[in-house]
Amino acid sequence: MSDITTVLVDILKYTIVAATPLLFASIGGLFSELSGMLNIALEGLMGIGAFFGMAAAGLSHNVFIGVLAAIASAVTASLLMGVVILQFKANLFIAGLAINLLAGGITTVLSQWWYHTKAVVAFSLPAPLPAFPAALAQIPFIGPVLLSHSVLTVSAWLWTLGAALIINNTRHGIRIRATGIHAQAVSALGYSPDRARMAALVWSGIGSGLGGFALGLSISAFVPNIVSGRGWIALVAIYLGRKKPLWIAASCLLFAFAESLSNYIQGFSSIPPLIVLALPYAVTLVSLIVAGNKK
Amino acid sequence: MEAERELRGPARVVLAVGVSIALAAGVLALFSQDFGSALAQFFLEPFSNRYFLGNYLADTVPLMIAGLGVLIAFRSKNFNLGGEGQLYAGALAAGVLALRLPAGTDPFALWCWTALVGTLTGAAIGALSGLLKAFRGVSEMISSFLISATVINISDFLITGPFQDPASNFQTTRQIAPQFLLPRILAPSKLDISIGLALALILVFMVVAKRTRIGFELKICGENEEFARYCGIPVATYQIAAMAVSGGLYGLAGALLVIGPQGRVIRGFSSGLGWSAISVALLAQGSEAGVVPAALFIAFLGTGSDHVMIGSGIPSEIISILQAVAMFFITARSLPRLRRRRP
Repeated sequence: MSDITTVLVDILKYTIVAATPLLFASIGGLFSELSGMLNIALEGLMGIGAFFGMAAAGLSHNVFIGVLAAIASAVTASLLMGVVILQFKANLFIAGLAINLLAGGITTVLSQWWYHTKAVVAFSLPAPLPAFPAALAQIPFIGPVLLSHSVLTVSAWLWTLGAALIINNTRHGIRIRATGIHAQAVSALGYSPDRARMAALVWSGIGSGLGGFALGLSISAFVPNIVSGRGWIALVAIYLGRKKPLWIAASCLLFAFAESLSNYIQGFSSIPPLIVLALPYAVTLVSLIVAGNKK
Repeated sequence: MEAERELRGPARVVLAVGVSIALAAGVLALFSQDFGSALAQFFLEPFSNRYFLGNYLADTVPLMIAGLGVLIAFRSKNFNLGGEGQLYAGALAAGVLALRLPAGTDPFALWCWTALVGTLTGAAIGALSGLLKAFRGVSEMISSFLISATVINISDFLITGPFQDPASNFQTTRQIAPQFLLPRILAPSKLDISIGLALALILVFMVVAKRTRIGFELKICGENEEFARYCGIPVATYQIAAMAVSGGLYGLAGALLVIGPQGRVIRGFSSGLGWSAISVALLAQGSEAGVVPAALFIAFLGTGSDHVMIGSGIPSEIISILQAVAMFFITARSLPRLRRRRP
């Protein structure tokens, strides 16, 4: 393979890896978006999932336990948010902002308490389970780009397909969507809009928790601010994808490509890394402007 | 509604303040060796001498100014989440200007120029989100956050690259000449005359809100957009302006820190202030005058945390948790009934 192909393979392969946390979180966020709640807490929920998932995985030396802990912690936080919003009638955005602050605070404080550092906590974990037989990765180009990934990365795509099915084809999905369109009508039919919203928040929690954990797993470590804006990028993916799961997945791939490219440029060019780090935000911002539509 | 009890503004503030203080005390009880002295340290030390009191009051200045801006944005139903970047960029713009102006510049002129440049920098960043909302229907929360994230990265680059102090091991710009720094009051603490400006600004905004057409129309825009439109009020202009004012006050807060207590722009020095200003605006409950006690309280939590928590090995990030809890309570509009209704 020529040099340029190797580079391309690297960038595309990492695009798929970088898309994993975004996919989990944005598809999770889609549920609450459809139920009528713009969930700005995705960022914080991802951080919580990353920290507790990695901590549990590190303690048990078992990635599956990490997955469970990531889901449990992020769902707990989103339930807290749901209670505050639905029972205490709190403002959705202020509650979301509070969750983000809480996540930053709790993960840093616990990191200091348990690991005596506010910086990188590295975990030695078992190697990720490959999703495909090793032989498939030998196929030129397609092999390394698509067929060399872990079970977790592949699950992000199953999660997307599953969410599409639930949203479009189940009673549960229809109730969540109906709540977003006309909560009073749902209520008049004898269903509880609050229950649909709570369920939607739980889906957000599951997705963000998994997304955060995937992020931690990809570097085998936890760092405060590990999420660094990906929750917001996931939120933009929901809009850019016009709230359709498969288009959201495409948007996530676009943003992941920007991240992968920025990682590559950092290693191999004279452009200062701090400028390059802004690239994913800038791409997201531009796409938000493009996706926006005049009221 | 009989299913729940409504929570009025003052009750929410009391709850928010009470619960966050109780939580702070709880954390102290868990982690400190000597609970009594830790408690005294937390609650009394900021007032115990000139130095601590001055530093504490100095911390309220950026909170009052930026909090006032968040309040104005709230009033027009805009949620500015880009304060972190607006403040940082305002600080950097002011710092660079202060370093570039010739040594013979009149200090007062320098203060005015740097404050103006910091304000304009923040205002431009804030206005961008307002424009995107007005013309592209883009949520100002998401756009202000993303713009801020981009701006922070670029500012980090500028501080550690072109403007890095070659003589320093820290990631910082050069030191601003001492004659250009704002005069201190309550020396040796870091409190300077900018606290006067903060209070004056609050007064001005109060008068504008209560006594002028602009203040009245802004209020209408926030309370009922459709009605405002029928009245012929240029709603979009007000919303863009509110975001610009909010960004501008963040920028000003940053600029005053640089020509005041900081004296230079250190990478990441203002991290967290943008969020604290939102807490201040929420606690102020829509009242300009309320910004003063709200800033005093949030700064108190911060100072208290710094004083004791570090001594007991708890990172100062505990302040984020205290603020988050305060936010939950300040925004709760009702208490669900846990038991059956009393007759």
